[in-house]
Amino acid sequence: MKAAFPYIGYHSIALKDFLTALGAKVCLPPPLTKRTLELGVKYSPEMVCLPFKITLGNFIEALEIGADTLFMATGARKCRFGYYSYLQEKILKELGYQFKFYSVSQYSPYEFVFEKMPQIFNVSPLKVLKALYLMIKKSELCENFKNSLRVIRAIDYQKSLIFEKEYLKKIEGVKKIKEINILNKELKELRKKWLKNNGIKLRVGLVGEIYFLLEDFANQELEKELSKFGVLVLSKRSLYSRLKHLLKMEPGFLKIYYYARKYLSVSPGGEALNTIGEAVNFIKKGVDGIIHIFPFTCMPENIALHSLEKISEDYNVPILSLSFDEHTSKTGLLTRIEAFLELLKRRKK
Amino acid sequence: MATVYIGIDVGSISTKGVVLDDNFNVITYEYLRTKGRPIEAVLNLIKIFKERVGNNVKFGGVGTTGSGRRLAGVMIGADIVKNEIIAHAIAASHFYPNCQTVIEIGGQDSKIIILRNGIPVDFAMNTVCAAGTGSFLDHQAQRLGIPIEEFGKLALKAKTKVNIAGRCTVFAESDMIHKAQLGFPIESIIAGLCEAIVRNYLNVVAKGKDIKPLILFQGGVAANVGVREAFKKELKEEIIVPEYFLVMGAIGAAILAKEETNGRGSRFYGFGISNCEFNTKAIECNGCANRCEIIHTYRDNELIDIYGDRCGKWSGG
Repeated sequence: MKAAFPYIGYHSIALKDFLTALGAKVCLPPPLTKRTLELGVKYSPEMVCLPFKITLGNFIEALEIGADTLFMATGARKCRFGYYSYLQEKILKELGYQFKFYSVSQYSPYEFVFEKMPQIFNVSPLKVLKALYLMIKKSELCENFKNSLRVIRAIDYQKSLIFEKEYLKKIEGVKKIKEINILNKELKELRKKWLKNNGIKLRVGLVGEIYFLLEDFANQELEKELSKFGVLVLSKRSLYSRLKHLLKMEPGFLKIYYYARKYLSVSPGGEALNTIGEAVNFIKKGVDGIIHIFPFTCMPENIALHSLEKISEDYNVPILSLSFDEHTSKTGLLTRIEAFLELLKRRKK
Repeated sequence: MATVYIGIDVGSISTKGVVLDDNFNVITYEYLRTKGRPIEAVLNLIKIFKERVGNNVKFGGVGTTGSGRRLAGVMIGADIVKNEIIAHAIAASHFYPNCQTVIEIGGQDSKIIILRNGIPVDFAMNTVCAAGTGSFLDHQAQRLGIPIEEFGKLALKAKTKVNIAGRCTVFAESDMIHKAQLGFPIESIIAGLCEAIVRNYLNVVAKGKDIKPLILFQGGVAANVGVREAFKKELKEEIIVPEYFLVMGAIGAAILAKEETNGRGSRFYGFGISNCEFNTKAIECNGCANRCEIIHTYRDNELIDIYGDRCGKWSGG
């Protein structure tokens, strides 16, 4: 089996290790580029949201280099993401590719462990559990890595490039839980040490749609651009937080939902409640501003946007909402973030 | 020798420039059409200023803003390159210290800036679509064969009201055509369009923003009395159009340049650059599948800037 899945930023490393632990040979598609996007746009329905297009392009490029089994998550509630996998499979089949396609539902962990994965990989549920544990640990590592990277980027951009390269290699290399734990500790301590540096000019909370939060290509490297202004980016959502949430291991989300329910009594789907709750949480922690990113036409995030306007008013904290479509010019994005950061700076004075 | 500050605002449709004295009084200003050739427009501005101001001045600072700010900044050796949102806010609070809202509608974008105590505290800008901005008005004026300068005045002559769909320019245009075929007078249709633009602005750009007086209306569209009136009606507040509404961005850039240089003197290459020849060359990098377009800028065949790569291989960062 040559397995492939769409990239989700650094957290792809955890997914790769999960599949490898189950005995699959993972076929990583080439890094996301303009070509990936162009392929995705070409074969997608015009009005679908951007993550669909990019991940479809990802699959095409994986199939081109010999992948024969594709994995895609599914099962969002009341959001188009629920249709992604089925539609992508159909489109790819119509293009004439030969492959097996597995839609993996997020909301049936028992089926996942005891039926689906054992069937696909011909392994015991115990092995699936072990692989799952490795994935959780690895995603925690990816998250800690990203959090440390955010700090060093804000302090010293050139130094962060070296750190990124060095630690990515380390993270990809470790496979044993013990080693992962050591590295996790190391990264946490580095972050703590760097946080004492007073080179950080502003702190901004990043909220929004999860794919855009995870994948730098989709958000036009927003985090990198922000850090060039000496901004520390804080973000809660990741594969790790998602896994913890799905396996009911994350008590913190209760607080997030509590904050969110004040603004929206029912979930409109997707992760709108997370967006709203996290924004309030960041503000309570004293960030200077919030940046909200989501794909153009994303229904849940557009609903969250209206709650964010209210939050901005209630707490008197500026919130910048940015929707992304398939245009690749960074100019508009840079104008907006530059102005936003300037505004935060002038407010602080 | 008098010290002057220059601000240049290179927008999608027009290129604006001002020369200020030490106390930020406007010595001279100019408004040119960019016509898709920002380099030419900037050089023309410099040439005009050279004639009007002369060589017997000291340059205190030069700032650029607008969507073409980067290129302009590289060309002339600007001390500061700032986005147009901050530039507009700075200029607004300079002329009207108690201004709390700035409405700015330019060629391709429209924005709202909220100020409190002279500090910009919030802003919004139209995102993916340019509905209801200057270029659409321009297009409609052309289609109807009316000079853009007369367009707004006609709206004031309307005796009846016509509703035009303002959400999307494509729909607005078909709606205008449809209403014209029904026999509505052109004045009423134009008045309807002005109202639609204001509605669109307030619903899309200014949505959820706390619009408090003093309200300033800046940018090219502020010249349109029809739109001014429509804003006044809709907001039920006095709308102030500052004397230099066309060049507020450029004024802001000049003020920021003074803040930046703080008496150190300017990096500006001088009026002489209007005789230089500037060229840009775009090449496609084949280093990876991103195929970035790399822009090389030359002054008299000397390479002065490389821009446009994602990875930093060409621009070095």
